[in-house]
Amino acid sequence: MTTDTISIMGVFPSQRGAADAIDRLRETSWAIERVHSPIPSHEIEEALQPPKSKVGWFTLAGGIFGFFTGFFLAAFTATSWSLIVSGKPVVALVPFFIVGFEFTILFAVFGNVLGLISQARLPHFDTQPLYDERFSGDCFGVLARCPVGEKEKLTRFFEENGAEIKTADK
Amino acid sequence: MKIMANAKKPLQLMKIFYGLAAIGGLIFITVALIGDPARAWQAYLLNFLFFSAIAQGAVLFSALMHTVKARWSRPLANVAESFAAFFPISIALFVILFLGQQHVFPWLHEDLHGKEMWLNVPFLFGRDLAGLILLYGFGLAFLYHRLYFTLKDLGASGPVGRRLQARWDRRPPDEERMAARATVFGILYLLAFALVLSLVGYDLVMAADPHWFSTLFGAYSFVKAIYIGFGALIVLSALLHMSGNNGYHVEENQFHDIGKLFFAFCLVWADFFYAQFVVIWYGNIPEETAYIIERTMAAPWNKLAWTIFIGCFIAPFLILINRKIKTVPRAMVVICLAVMAGIWLEHYLLLGPAFNHHVHHLPLGWVEIAVAVGFFGLLAAAVTGYFKQFPEIIEVDRLKAEEV
Repeated sequence: MTTDTISIMGVFPSQRGAADAIDRLRETSWAIERVHSPIPSHEIEEALQPPKSKVGWFTLAGGIFGFFTGFFLAAFTATSWSLIVSGKPVVALVPFFIVGFEFTILFAVFGNVLGLISQARLPHFDTQPLYDERFSGDCFGVLARCPVGEKEKLTRFFEENGAEIKTADK
Repeated sequence: MKIMANAKKPLQLMKIFYGLAAIGGLIFITVALIGDPARAWQAYLLNFLFFSAIAQGAVLFSALMHTVKARWSRPLANVAESFAAFFPISIALFVILFLGQQHVFPWLHEDLHGKEMWLNVPFLFGRDLAGLILLYGFGLAFLYHRLYFTLKDLGASGPVGRRLQARWDRRPPDEERMAARATVFGILYLLAFALVLSLVGYDLVMAADPHWFSTLFGAYSFVKAIYIGFGALIVLSALLHMSGNNGYHVEENQFHDIGKLFFAFCLVWADFFYAQFVVIWYGNIPEETAYIIERTMAAPWNKLAWTIFIGCFIAPFLILINRKIKTVPRAMVVICLAVMAGIWLEHYLLLGPAFNHHVHHLPLGWVEIAVAVGFFGLLAAAVTGYFKQFPEIIEVDRLKAEEV
């Protein structure tokens, strides 16, 4: 299958140009493989319309886990080192809520970071094919895949949208 | 023309609201005169506090948004200002409360151990009335200066609106000065809100149990007022938005943002409750714990306390985590009404045990509900009346459409 298709990278000097090209590419049969941007861009995000991020679920799971961990830690220390104060219960839920609350936040943050790392598939050490250093500078890259026969057409499409072309055989 | 045709609708609504107010008023007077006057006056106090807090909290939204120069909240702030129409009524209702002093101050015939200096009827009514006049004065002054800009943008088409416009046309005020004054009065309203609602909370709610005190109680009272004020604002703007009889429109992201604010105050309310609770729990001093034990652990109030905690914190907290639900006006109306009902019960929980010692069943019944209906009628009639005076606020989009 892979031999029948070819990937072409369009290097765009502007955010708007890249977003417009993505918009138009979505109307064609060509597939968008990857998009590079030097900045977090709402315009490109809107054009790509990616599925809803799952990071929130990691945060939620972390928060819930942290809440109970906090309670458990407080109960564990209270039972291991007894400090009996007036008529207070050893495992006292009212003040342990504070520990639970703090751990909710801490573990929600951990969950969030883990979610971000796993969802963004980090770390990533090798540069991807057709990557251009300018994508970390001042340019935007849109990588599209088309059947070998339509190579000229896709190249023309990118050029019409104001992009510089980069292919594997260059 | 369409606006004129639609003017009939508020008239019908006004009749219904006046009817509700009249029914509530009649029942209150009947019970107060020939039934159980203590119960009637206690229900009156409860509903006075609750409905005044709604109006004060909703107007706070507009003052707050104006002070921080927020621009996202324009249509919501315009609607929030309509609650200021309840201010004069609230003052009158407070004055009427003077007649029921024998029934709403359980400390009147108690030995107060030196608190008489502070807790005596003339001083209490004097300072609270002065406080409320100050608060409402700042609120109405803020509204007056804000209306100058609102009416300049939208054009006045109601009776009072036109009169104000004519006044400003005769002697055009300095715009910069109007803007600066709106900000000053907005900030004064915010400050007075915190101080006066604290004072009212201490005097009318906390003092019902004269030997108990919590220094955070005042702050707790005004945070609660913000919580239900924002809730009422969401309900009103969502109902106006969903109704096809006007041109009022709120964007989805605006609903999302006010929903987030409401969610935040759900947390703040629970936080202020907990901050008081945990200190009393740790101290474990009988003078302080008796109040909490009576309300949260002893029957029949403990069930009510849990209902309130679940209805006003746990349930809204879990539901409002969801992003989507905050953008659905219909769902938000239900959630906000549930929370407001919960806070109404919370007012009842704070006052009830002080008035009804050693009861076996919750003394909650049709008298409280009937008086609440009457107060609701008054608030709703005031708000509807405001929109009759300033119809352009809810006809913004239609006016624009007709111009095109």
